[in-house]
Amino acid sequence: MADPRRSRPRFWPLAHVGLRARITLAFSLGALVVSLLLIIASAVLIRQNLLTQRERLVSERVAVNAALVADKVGLPEIDAQTVFGSLSTAGKPSVVLQDQSTRSDLFISVDTAYGAATLPQSLRSEVLDKRTTAVMRYERGGELLLAVGAPIPDRPGAYFEVNQLGDIERSLSSLFIPLATIAAVTCAFGATLGWWASRRVLRPLADITDVAESVAKGRLDSRVAYSEWADDADLAPLVSTFNDMVAALQDRIDRDARFASDVSHELRSPLTTFNASLQVLANAREEMPERAQLALDLLESDMARFTQLVEDLLEISRFDAGAVRLELDEVEVVETVEMAARTLSQKPLPVVADEDLRGVIITCDKRRLVRVLANFIDNASKYAEGATRIVLERSEHPDPGDAEGEPHRWIRIMVDDEGPGVPESERGRIFDRFNRGTLGGSRGSDLGVGLGLALAAEHARLQGGSVWVESRPDGPGARFVLELPYVEADSTGDSSDDEFRLDEVTFGPRPSEAREPTGTHEVVVVPAAEDDR
Amino acid sequence: MVGVGTRILTVEDDERIRTSVRLALEDEGWSIEEATNGEEAIAAFGANPADVVLIDIMLPGIDGFEVCRQIRRQSDVPIVMVTARADTHDVVAGLEAGADDYLTKPFAPKELSARIRALLRRTRATEGANARLRFGSLEIVPAEGVVTYDGEEVHLTKTEFRLLVELATNPHKVLSREALLDRVWGHNYFGDGRLVDVHIRRLRTKVESDPANPRHVVTVRGLGYKLQG
Repeated sequence: MADPRRSRPRFWPLAHVGLRARITLAFSLGALVVSLLLIIASAVLIRQNLLTQRERLVSERVAVNAALVADKVGLPEIDAQTVFGSLSTAGKPSVVLQDQSTRSDLFISVDTAYGAATLPQSLRSEVLDKRTTAVMRYERGGELLLAVGAPIPDRPGAYFEVNQLGDIERSLSSLFIPLATIAAVTCAFGATLGWWASRRVLRPLADITDVAESVAKGRLDSRVAYSEWADDADLAPLVSTFNDMVAALQDRIDRDARFASDVSHELRSPLTTFNASLQVLANAREEMPERAQLALDLLESDMARFTQLVEDLLEISRFDAGAVRLELDEVEVVETVEMAARTLSQKPLPVVADEDLRGVIITCDKRRLVRVLANFIDNASKYAEGATRIVLERSEHPDPGDAEGEPHRWIRIMVDDEGPGVPESERGRIFDRFNRGTLGGSRGSDLGVGLGLALAAEHARLQGGSVWVESRPDGPGARFVLELPYVEADSTGDSSDDEFRLDEVTFGPRPSEAREPTGTHEVVVVPAAEDDR
Repeated sequence: MVGVGTRILTVEDDERIRTSVRLALEDEGWSIEEATNGEEAIAAFGANPADVVLIDIMLPGIDGFEVCRQIRRQSDVPIVMVTARADTHDVVAGLEAGADDYLTKPFAPKELSARIRALLRRTRATEGANARLRFGSLEIVPAEGVVTYDGEEVHLTKTEFRLLVELATNPHKVLSREALLDRVWGHNYFGDGRLVDVHIRRLRTKVESDPANPRHVVTVRGLGYKLQG
């Protein structure tokens, strides 16, 4: 299935993450990268600086020490103590003396591990052969060392010092913690900035989502507050386009609704005249010749049908125009169904309900509930010689459109008949408009036009419920099911009416003066049962 | 029999509807007076008040709501509104304007007759019809058609009075809206609960010291209404 929400390729791991989270992540990653770069750059610079300073320092000292050493190495008896004893140095000093005659070098050092012999050859030859001061940084055995050599003035030979640079590394690593902290703070700051920026960027989207939701729920006059975004060159067009779209939609729906209402009025007026005139004729039936009586009978029966058809068409056009309103009511469901059974069915129609459903008050549109029942019972009387039983049951399952969702509670009101039943292949189609089913087509001429079940489906859908047909579980026949969300009416409302006594009612909701019973059903003209036929 | 000699004023601008409804209602035994617009209707009612008024909401000039309000100001005559639309707004506005009942076009004349008969019905004879029914400061004398609150007479329309008596003769008992629709308006089907609600609201403005927090005519959520002391 080409579900656009799932069409993102799999290799994009953040596909399921919201835009806002992604923006935040991008901001914090950006901040992290920037702060890391800064930290690395500053670490490198600091290190460079420290090293340069140390080199200069050591070079100056070496120059001084080389001059001092020059006097000592001229003595006949030289040892490390005499040569280096008077020097001030933080490094490890050593001296190389060249004997021109033997062409051999004499090495003198305090610590042979850092003596001149351990120095890199290139440094030694640079200093000894070219007689220049040379500096070299190198690593030996994992230790960073700085070696500086200077020729001893007026003597064949050179003075060297080896300095351990571990302290510089140590001070650099002690800098690591504050720098890492700075990086973390920068990163958090980036995340916050991203969160804030994305909220700012997405706020019109949030507003638009809210408005779209409320439009979807039928509040067509909802708009995004344009004035808030009017100054924003990027967002203003989005907001105004969205508002224009909703306005166009509202206009369209209003026009459709107005049209339905106009048509309704235009059709109702002549129908009123027809009905009244027809009744005058019917009152004079006995005075008419037989042929005229027959014509009158035809006229009467088709007028009833026509009136019903117009009613149904007007009602269904209101659904199409989105002009229907749910009038929620607190309904004692078993009692309501029993009353409907009494008034809607020509023969006695038993109502079977679980004992614990008795007295239960649910929130639903009572008029629509009764209309669906009327259509079911009417259907049964046309195709199955009447309904035989109404069964009420609770049920619990997820929303039909969301099989993996949370289970919800439902109430099922089922109208059984003992007719031929509805074949499997017809079960989905009989709720379509003007579809009488193959069985219906072969029946007598006094059948409805097939809008009743389609209307029943619309009435149910409007309340978040559904209708379907199945086989009667205990024998041949059909079972028409209306399933509505089981929303128990909130009985904890403000009960300011303290004088109310519970023993006055047979079942137990708490009284309240806080709200009127919301008895504002929309009334659809003459219900089927009131037609004068 | 209520029908004979009872005069109905029909206010309808569509001549064909007016004539056909007149013929059908005359067959039912009512005498009919006709008005084609609001001004005419108010003048005719002022000159010789009818027993029942039938008003189409969509009228040229002053509309049906206004006609209803003006007639209600001078009389408690039963008024039936006829509307072409079942819009919530029209129906409630009609009832708020003072109508006792309403019908939507196309209606069956027999249904209209039944509604009118129900509205003209006298308060049902109850045991001890001469009894004075007391609910705190509210006193009702069904036989005399008199209601007093704190000793002051309260003026109710016929329908409001019948609604109050229906509640009063079942003291402290909850009456569902269906039961009230059946007993007061003669609606035998699933009638329109708004009819009851709007009348209850109007009743409260007359028999309650604080209509927003009623002490006598109380709502029992999900069930209906009851009258208490």
